[in-house]
Amino acid sequence: MMIEALIAVALLGALVTFVAPNRIAGKLAFAISLIPTALALWLFSAFDGSGNALLGGELAFSSNVEWIQFGDYTISWFVGLDGISLPLVVMTTILVTLAIVSSWTPIDERESQFYGLLLFIEANLIGVFAALDFFVWFIFWEAVLIPMYLLIGIWGGPRRKYAAIKFFVYTNVASLVMFGAFIALVLGLGDGVTSFALPEIADAMVNGGGVQTALFGVDPGTLTAIVFVAMFLGFAVKVPVVPFHTWLPDAHVEAPTPASVLLAGVLLKMGTYALLRFNFTMFPEQVEAYAVPIAAIAVISVIYGALLALAQTDLKRIVAYSSVSSMGYVILGLIAYTEFGVSGATFQMVSHGLISGLMFMAVGVIYNVTHTRMVTDMSGLADRMPVAAGVLVAGAFGYMGLPLMSGFYGEFTIFFGAFGSELLAYSQVFTALAMFGIVIVAGYLLFALQRTVFGPYHLETDYEIGRAALHDIAPMFVLLGLIILLGVAPELIFEMMKDAVTPILETGGGL
Amino acid sequence: MAGTGAFGYAPAIALFPLVAFVVALTFGKYMPKRGAIAGILATAGSLLLSLWLLVTVAGGEVYHETLYEWAAGDVLTEAGSNGIEFTFGLLIDPLSALMLVIVSLVAFLVHVFSLGYMNAEGETGLPRYYAGLGLFTFSMLAFVYADNLLMAFMFFELVGLCSYLLIGFWFRTRSAPSAAKKAFLVTRFGDYFFLLGVVAIASTFGTVAFAGENSFVVAAETAIENGQTLFGFDARTWVTITALLVLGGVMGKSAQFPLHTWLPDAMEGPTTVSALIHAATMVAAGVYLVARMFGYYALSPTALTVIAFVGGFTALFAATMGVVKDDIKQVLAYSTISQYGYMMLGLGVGGYVAGVFHLMNHAFFKALLFLGAGAVIVIMHHEQDMWKMGGLKDKAPITYYTFLAGALALAGIIPFSGFWSKDEVLYDALIVGLEQPVILVAYAMALIAVFFTGFYTFRMVFLTFHGEPRSETAEDPHPVGWSIKAPLIVLGILAVVAGLVNLAPLAKVLGVDITFLEHWLDGEFGSVEGLTYHAYHETVAFEEGAIGSETVTMLLGAGLSLGLALAGALTAHTLYNVPEPVPHKERLGGVRRTLEANYYQDEYQVWIAERVTLPVARMADRFDQSVIDGLVNSVSTASLFGGSRLKRVQTGLVTNYAALLVAGFIGLLLLLGTLGGWFL
Repeated sequence: MMIEALIAVALLGALVTFVAPNRIAGKLAFAISLIPTALALWLFSAFDGSGNALLGGELAFSSNVEWIQFGDYTISWFVGLDGISLPLVVMTTILVTLAIVSSWTPIDERESQFYGLLLFIEANLIGVFAALDFFVWFIFWEAVLIPMYLLIGIWGGPRRKYAAIKFFVYTNVASLVMFGAFIALVLGLGDGVTSFALPEIADAMVNGGGVQTALFGVDPGTLTAIVFVAMFLGFAVKVPVVPFHTWLPDAHVEAPTPASVLLAGVLLKMGTYALLRFNFTMFPEQVEAYAVPIAAIAVISVIYGALLALAQTDLKRIVAYSSVSSMGYVILGLIAYTEFGVSGATFQMVSHGLISGLMFMAVGVIYNVTHTRMVTDMSGLADRMPVAAGVLVAGAFGYMGLPLMSGFYGEFTIFFGAFGSELLAYSQVFTALAMFGIVIVAGYLLFALQRTVFGPYHLETDYEIGRAALHDIAPMFVLLGLIILLGVAPELIFEMMKDAVTPILETGGGL
Repeated sequence: MAGTGAFGYAPAIALFPLVAFVVALTFGKYMPKRGAIAGILATAGSLLLSLWLLVTVAGGEVYHETLYEWAAGDVLTEAGSNGIEFTFGLLIDPLSALMLVIVSLVAFLVHVFSLGYMNAEGETGLPRYYAGLGLFTFSMLAFVYADNLLMAFMFFELVGLCSYLLIGFWFRTRSAPSAAKKAFLVTRFGDYFFLLGVVAIASTFGTVAFAGENSFVVAAETAIENGQTLFGFDARTWVTITALLVLGGVMGKSAQFPLHTWLPDAMEGPTTVSALIHAATMVAAGVYLVARMFGYYALSPTALTVIAFVGGFTALFAATMGVVKDDIKQVLAYSTISQYGYMMLGLGVGGYVAGVFHLMNHAFFKALLFLGAGAVIVIMHHEQDMWKMGGLKDKAPITYYTFLAGALALAGIIPFSGFWSKDEVLYDALIVGLEQPVILVAYAMALIAVFFTGFYTFRMVFLTFHGEPRSETAEDPHPVGWSIKAPLIVLGILAVVAGLVNLAPLAKVLGVDITFLEHWLDGEFGSVEGLTYHAYHETVAFEEGAIGSETVTMLLGAGLSLGLALAGALTAHTLYNVPEPVPHKERLGGVRRTLEANYYQDEYQVWIAERVTLPVARMADRFDQSVIDGLVNSVSTASLFGGSRLKRVQTGLVTNYAALLVAGFIGLLLLLGTLGGWFL
């Protein structure tokens, strides 16, 4: 019942915060959010699961209650955690708590609604990572969109409506494509499957011979391939990979900082998490068949995303595009289909969540005190805000994959896992190309640092520079601490990730 | 897990400065010397422990232990082994023990020197400075005794970070942050290849250990013996490829052509930082790495030849640029690049001892010269232009005589330390060159560079210390304290006597056994198996020739290089050791502009960054905005409703969207349900 408690606390907390007075909403939401964080940390320490949740692993904290009978199919409230989902849940609760604290300074209207939505989004995000029934999962998946849409649409910048609608429509259309494809898959699996439980469907796909009957006149092989591609595209928008990424910079630029933290930190991971759970777990044959194009997409995302970041002068756009680049590494790790590659990709999801969260917070603090995000508008900020500047520098080096910070471990294990991949043809070439991202990322981040943090102090805006408050800085130190902790002791989560990833690889035709 | 005796304390060598880093960063503001004391104590502790280790290793013990495993997993490697472990471990053998002493000694002296150089000037940001030095010393020491390639890479990157932070110490200027960025970017470009090399080696052999039965060196030997095919190449070719990839990182850090351009710019940092990081230690990391995994390079004559050629070329190339510089630190910067070229040449021809010997001597005399330059800069009230100096020799005798010792060592004048090691490098290059024409060319370049070295070194000495004072500050020097003089004296003595540890030419002529360093590196006191000079020498497949006999060749080579060095010094004497020297640059004619512009190396690299990469990025951005995003927007406009209808849907009321979402979701369910026959 622990997962239910986690979700329920966040949901109830959201309701309470909604009706609380604006004045105390921020502090109240923070206090409430500590409960899921503490619970999640407890779950982490008490984790006793093993194996992969979809492939006959030992689930932790699971519950499975029949909910609705839908024709021949049973829908159940089925949740549980394995080594892939648990770290993501913990990261989500921590990031939400920190995002709430980082909102205290910038959010000064309709506070109770704002903080209520943050807690509401937390409940749904936990649901996405914990749900093991497709319908339950999909409800959470879709429900994440609403609060994020509102956060951008109400508290966002000047072009918030355009950005919010673009985000909503784009990702929602993608979801529908994916939804339709998955339903088709379930129908195609025929009598072998009697529920929407993901383990059952995965079992039918991997061990039961997959789709056996033709559907709508499409033969089973083609149907499986179509479903694989459609689901890949559906999730690819969420990740996002090039060329489905254009909603992301708009959403980030317009979103209020705390929403950006969650968007980059957690929402993008929904895409890669779903890719891992669905495409890469249920379709070993298609993964092999489409390895080269997927790897090409990954490499293009890394390099093209980094080049786009290089061309930007808005700090938020720089970090936004760099996310596209970083998520490309995750895709590369997944398609490598090796223990280090897939585990590294999973590790990178958590690591990038923390680091991008830190970067957006730092940019937010800069915006709070300077009222600008344009690289060309400022220089020498280290002179006036040395601590915040120091954290930004540390975060930037984390993003560049500095050793002893989590980013290095994620990237190194991905590169190592990808280089020797048996599944992926030309894996050495793909790895070498993607790795060049580590040079470009240093280019645009160091350029941004040189222009904004260093040099003689100068600010284009008329605004008198203020001081960053302790509660602006403290969340960044927490994240920095976690980034270094995971960089020094990655086994804290890498061990359980490997354990959950290995069964996936064993299904891959003896690879 | 813990070792016995001295080795049990080995981790503390690196950890002391790490503690100093944390202390300086958090409490430095409130401490009397702003963190200097913590740094001095920490590096003194590291130095004492390093000396203890050196004695212990001399007693025949070595240490190779894994201390911490941070990842392990299954992987089927190309060479056929299974599984891999990534660990942190220590490898303490004659090479690393020696290097630990060098690094901790120079770090300690630089900390002491900083008391006089940085603290006395009322600098702000001193805690940041000492924190940076502490973090650097930690990373560098950890790099030195890393027992595997991945750990070495990690600390290799971390010293790069420290270098970035310390070059940019005076961040309020425009030039320092720019130089810091350039230094990190250029070295990172090299590190890209290094990391690719690490990944390739790990994927190929399933191990990244430097030493022992499970090392990648042994695995590579086995693969070559068995004639295996690795990633589509025969084993030796693949070893060459991976070795050259790692070399990318070496060339970046050790500032070898064409990745040398960052080092002269790095002089923007405080002079103490230049002495520690950009002369004696971090720049040495590249060369040290080659020495550390020399067994691997020894397997590939091609890789060695590349190293030798790059080294020889860089030695000459950088030396010629040094002759026209007016800033005392710039002269030293180009000299540093040139000297690392010699080390590369030495290692590249299989002269493991010669390369390490020169690395050690250079660390001492170049740290001395940089600190001496620092003292001169203090004396000159922060003037670095040599044309504004002159006549300092009587006013600052200790600075002058120690600087002179360093200069004689750098120029390679007998019997100062630099002579012995540079001569050994050249001798090794010559005997191999007599059989391999490519290496003979490298040797010739390095030999010509000796002349230029003698010239620019003494041009610097004469302009700075001799003649008449050429500015008011030169007439009225600022006094320097003992915290500045003491490190100069220690290093000055070392610059004179350090050569005594390996008097190879005398040993040959007199037939006495006085090549201690060679014995040391050959494991005659104690060593890890396989990591000895003889083992390497047997693997290196170069043939060696001689002119007449070995002794004749040796004497000939030594005489030639000494003659050239003296000729260079004499030329400088004639031109610049006069009361009122003039630049004489017009004598260079057309070459002058090229030299002053550093062969336009910066220009083309800036061109690549600003005229190629940036426009490509902007083009990608325009493409992204117009084509990709344009497509997305036009699809959304043309979809389902058409423009005007869509406008009505976009009411801006969020509740409407929520309702739409739910309606759409239910509608889809109904549709699929009907198709799927769930309601029948």
